[in-house]
Amino acid sequence: MSSNRESPNQVRPNQERPNRLPTHTGTAIDFTFNGVALQGIAGDTLASALLANGVNVVGRSFKYGRPRGIFGHGAEEPNGIIQLGSGAGTVPNLKATQVELYQGLEASSVNGWPSVNFDVMGLVGAFGRLMPPGFYYKTFMYPKKLWMTYEHFIRKAAGLGATPVEADPDSYDKLNQHCDVLVVGAGPAGLVAAREAARTGARVIIADEQSEFGGSLLASKQSIDGLLATDWVASLATELKAYSNVQLLPRSTVFGYYDHNFLTILERRTDHLGLTSAHQVRQRIHRVRAAQVVLATGAFERPLVFAHNDIPGVMLASSVSTYVNRYGVAPGNKLVLFTTNDNAYQTALDWHQTGREVVAVIDTRADPSGDIVAAVKALGIDVIAGHGLIEAQGRKRVKRALIAPINKAGTEVSGAVRALDCDLIACSGGWSPAVHLSSHTGAKPIWDESIVGFRPGKSIQQERSAGACRGTFDLAGCLAEGASAGAVAASLSGYGEGNRQFPVCAVEEFAEQPQQALFLVPHTKSTSRAPSQFVDFQLDVSASAIELAVREGFESVEHVKRYTALGFGTDQGKLGNINGMAILANALEQSIAETGTTIFRPSYTPTTFGAIAGRDVNNLFDPERYTAMHRWHQERGAEFENVGQWKRPWFFPQQGETMQDAVNREGLAVRNSVGILDATTLGKIDIQGPDAAEFITRMYSNSYLKLAPGKCRYGVMLKEDGMIFDDGVCACLGENHYLMFTTTGGAAGVLAWLELWQQTEWPDLQVYFTSVTDHWTTATVTGPNARKVIAKVCSDIELSNENFAFMDWRDGTVAGVKARIFRISFTGELSYEVNVPAHYGRHVWEALMAAGEEFNITPYGTETMHVLRAEKGFIIVGQDTDGSMTPADMNMDWVVGKNKTFSFIGKRSLQRSDMLRQNRKQLVGLKTLQAETVLPEGAQIVFDDKQAIPMSMQGHVTSSYYSASLGHSIALAVVKGGHSRLGQIVHCPLADGRSIAAEIVSSVFYDPQGERHHV
Amino acid sequence: MSNVIKLESPLNYFHGSFNKSSAPERLFNDQIDCDLVIKEAPLSAHLNLRGNADDSHFCSAVAKVLAVALPLQPGTYQRNANTSIYWLGPSEWLIVQEGGDAAAIEARLRESLEGHISIVDVSGGQTCINLRGVAVATVLKKSSIYDFEGWAAATPNSGRVAQTPFAKASAAVSNRSDGSYDLVIRRSFADYLAQWLLDAGAEFGVRIEQG
Repeated sequence: MSSNRESPNQVRPNQERPNRLPTHTGTAIDFTFNGVALQGIAGDTLASALLANGVNVVGRSFKYGRPRGIFGHGAEEPNGIIQLGSGAGTVPNLKATQVELYQGLEASSVNGWPSVNFDVMGLVGAFGRLMPPGFYYKTFMYPKKLWMTYEHFIRKAAGLGATPVEADPDSYDKLNQHCDVLVVGAGPAGLVAAREAARTGARVIIADEQSEFGGSLLASKQSIDGLLATDWVASLATELKAYSNVQLLPRSTVFGYYDHNFLTILERRTDHLGLTSAHQVRQRIHRVRAAQVVLATGAFERPLVFAHNDIPGVMLASSVSTYVNRYGVAPGNKLVLFTTNDNAYQTALDWHQTGREVVAVIDTRADPSGDIVAAVKALGIDVIAGHGLIEAQGRKRVKRALIAPINKAGTEVSGAVRALDCDLIACSGGWSPAVHLSSHTGAKPIWDESIVGFRPGKSIQQERSAGACRGTFDLAGCLAEGASAGAVAASLSGYGEGNRQFPVCAVEEFAEQPQQALFLVPHTKSTSRAPSQFVDFQLDVSASAIELAVREGFESVEHVKRYTALGFGTDQGKLGNINGMAILANALEQSIAETGTTIFRPSYTPTTFGAIAGRDVNNLFDPERYTAMHRWHQERGAEFENVGQWKRPWFFPQQGETMQDAVNREGLAVRNSVGILDATTLGKIDIQGPDAAEFITRMYSNSYLKLAPGKCRYGVMLKEDGMIFDDGVCACLGENHYLMFTTTGGAAGVLAWLELWQQTEWPDLQVYFTSVTDHWTTATVTGPNARKVIAKVCSDIELSNENFAFMDWRDGTVAGVKARIFRISFTGELSYEVNVPAHYGRHVWEALMAAGEEFNITPYGTETMHVLRAEKGFIIVGQDTDGSMTPADMNMDWVVGKNKTFSFIGKRSLQRSDMLRQNRKQLVGLKTLQAETVLPEGAQIVFDDKQAIPMSMQGHVTSSYYSASLGHSIALAVVKGGHSRLGQIVHCPLADGRSIAAEIVSSVFYDPQGERHHV
Repeated sequence: MSNVIKLESPLNYFHGSFNKSSAPERLFNDQIDCDLVIKEAPLSAHLNLRGNADDSHFCSAVAKVLAVALPLQPGTYQRNANTSIYWLGPSEWLIVQEGGDAAAIEARLRESLEGHISIVDVSGGQTCINLRGVAVATVLKKSSIYDFEGWAAATPNSGRVAQTPFAKASAAVSNRSDGSYDLVIRRSFADYLAQWLLDAGAEFGVRIEQG
């Protein structure tokens, strides 16, 4: 144990890297782990560098706080969960096996407080038997109100990394990709699949989660076509790069497979360079629509479940080989290999090559006799057949292995136990195909006894699996399947004949003998009495916990998963699931096929929120629509209000003004002289065709058949249910030609509504609709002096009331620009709405401002607009109505044409009994008894505020303001039977205990005769 | 009051803008090597045309007035000199004429066309921007789910067009024979799209020019 002697912090000084093989050299890279300076070599992952430095303990387990070391070498790693960096760019819960080492990397364990080597929760570990599955629920259940307190401490103790508290300094984005063939995984099967598809001319994308292509071959000493595996991979990658129709995506994890062959890939572009990268996109999600998909995602080696199999120094056999062959790291000195199959014997050969000791190979099979077994024996390595490694011993590092003969079925220990000294145990229980992505599509994995694993289910989408993820584990088989899959996928997407075009690769490999299916290694004690035999390391789920769950009545694999937390960790059960399900099946006394597996869902590995958000953040989160005068408003210091996606000026505060001050000033200016409003955002639809008038008349509740050119009319649009949906003015521009105004927020919905009825119900009506919302810029000049202002900039329209009356429109020239002016009023004052093509918008606006200077023309915003229209009792659809209001409810019966020849949308519904009910909520005005008190919008109305709670609610306030023109507050409200309650006093009890009394009055507060806008 | 009439195109306030994430700040716009160059076309006449594609008189009359064939193949456009007609739907086209007078075009069309048609001047509501440079394909992929790579190459007189969501707004995207792309975008979304393109193109260097 010389290389792994324990120091206080378990981490060694820089110069000592006991496990780095002398044959492996490269550029040195400095990094720190838990604050200790260490050194790795270019090409290392954080895991390989930690192992090279002899770091045993990298974290603590979730529940018991047991010390844990690196166990795997890829996405399956359950223990090496780390926090990368600090500050704004820190990333929690990365797997050390997937973090590429870069100069200056800082990492720390996510679990373990105050340190990984002394964890207070570790004390709990000593009482592990006292913490059965469901422990938290059972123990902290009562009293219920304390659960939140318990949960806080449980989560703190468990520790799952820390999210950064500062804004993310990096940029992320998304690319939408289209391809004929997407190949997932660039191991042997994926590489040849991509090559075959590429040759046909199909658009190909090949993605792999590792930093370089090759998959399992990167750690292989095999030869392909006479080349060393890694050289063969390099030459193939070069070949693929030469195709212009192929996109190669290394460091790219396909993390989701969705309907219609839509897949998502997370590409890590700069993570391997450092924590933050100001100048480049850090991560990118590729949203791929693929005609055909080849899944070549490989397989995970299955660990063996034996007592204390979680002690640092226990690893997967393939991981030991990978560290030796690919990274030049021998993570220990004295290896005991424990296997149920031939395949893992390669690890004994690889370890032997390092010159370090292979203590023994423990094989559960009674008579292992394959060629590779012979090859191992030929090296003088002790192969102990018919034995199990029943328990590992040690605390922060393996010290010895207990082995014993086991019966043929692998269910019980059949002889004396003996101990082997060692500091490394490599184990292999066979391989589990990575069926995750195929499972995302809804294809249910199928258990296959012959490979002791789940194969992908029948394809639901345009995909096929090839190689190890399909249960084909030999290299020659993987290459054959991959090539065929690539050719077939290309052919199905319209390229090539479906036959492979490259010759079969020549490979050398050992023929393998059958493996033994063994999911739980027996102990001398029963499962419930034996030291913990871990199935899921990350969440500390042991074999006994699964058996206990069954004893407590759980039968469904989905229920057991949730009760025990099996597969809940960030590794998503990649290591433990199959063993767990097999143990469950055994406990239930049924087959694994009957037990089934849980369903894998996206994401395959954790995906950052930054990547999911992409560049739809900050000012780009949602489009901001601007009018042509937006810069002018900004320069005038306007405050803006969101109306739909539009930014509309809300009010224009002057020095020292509050919002109320500004609104009072703006409103009085309109009432007493003249104001100007940017009304560009109203929806505008150009309607042309011989049946335009008939169509419009069917859409609005009133008639437009007799509207003459030059005239406008206000209308209300109803849905089929008779409820108000939109309102606005419609102008007749000429024969068969109309312009319809809609509300700002309703524009798109109204256009869609018109198209819907024209296309689906009345295609016989000849009428075309075109949005002109963006074409026109509208400046509303309103107030007693409005005519004088317009007269200064427009000389070709006779502006007198006789020639250009209320609800007329005229074409003319304003400030030298062809304009269309409407005499429509939303303020109750004399108003001219000046429309010009938007390119001229700012010019005309500034000309109107200049012309109005002598009248102190005042720009006003939406808030003043709201006050002024409320003074007139004009409704705002969506504020005073809510989709349950009819024209009659709004006291607008006058807008319903009762004698139209053809029906209109909503007409029939207006006659339903509920519509005729007397006590429907009806629009009224409210005048507070105290003039200065402004009711809150949304306040509930009761007739008697002394009644017991819950009170009988009779209506609510829809709009409420202080009116400077009137000198008191005003409100619009809907009150049950309101139209017959004028003069009555109602009450608005508020949440703060106050109750505000108000009188029901007419909804028209100002100029009830409408004299001011007719001048 | 000034007699000068000032026009402001939708991207008026972005002419000369640039963004390059790795550029030293002291460099000026024209010294920066940008792999994405966005040029806003000069103000043009834009007209929305509706009519019956099965009416041969309609098709030939449009072609005669504009000297451009009316594209009847879905998702295509036809161009001649400074005039383009984009297919927008089975009965809908967009006419764009650089330097054209929308009112005059409308008058000539109305004179020649009969029956149920619609012609609407939408010149103020949209603008045409051209995207060129080696980063164009990637920036389009960032912005739209449409497969522009799948298009056949354009000729000087015809090409493909698609109205499609673009970032969170929309655009009518068409290809040019020089490998660049034209986008017709709505005025009210122009600020958003300019900011989007400046952001999406930052890694390649991007600038916006006045046409």
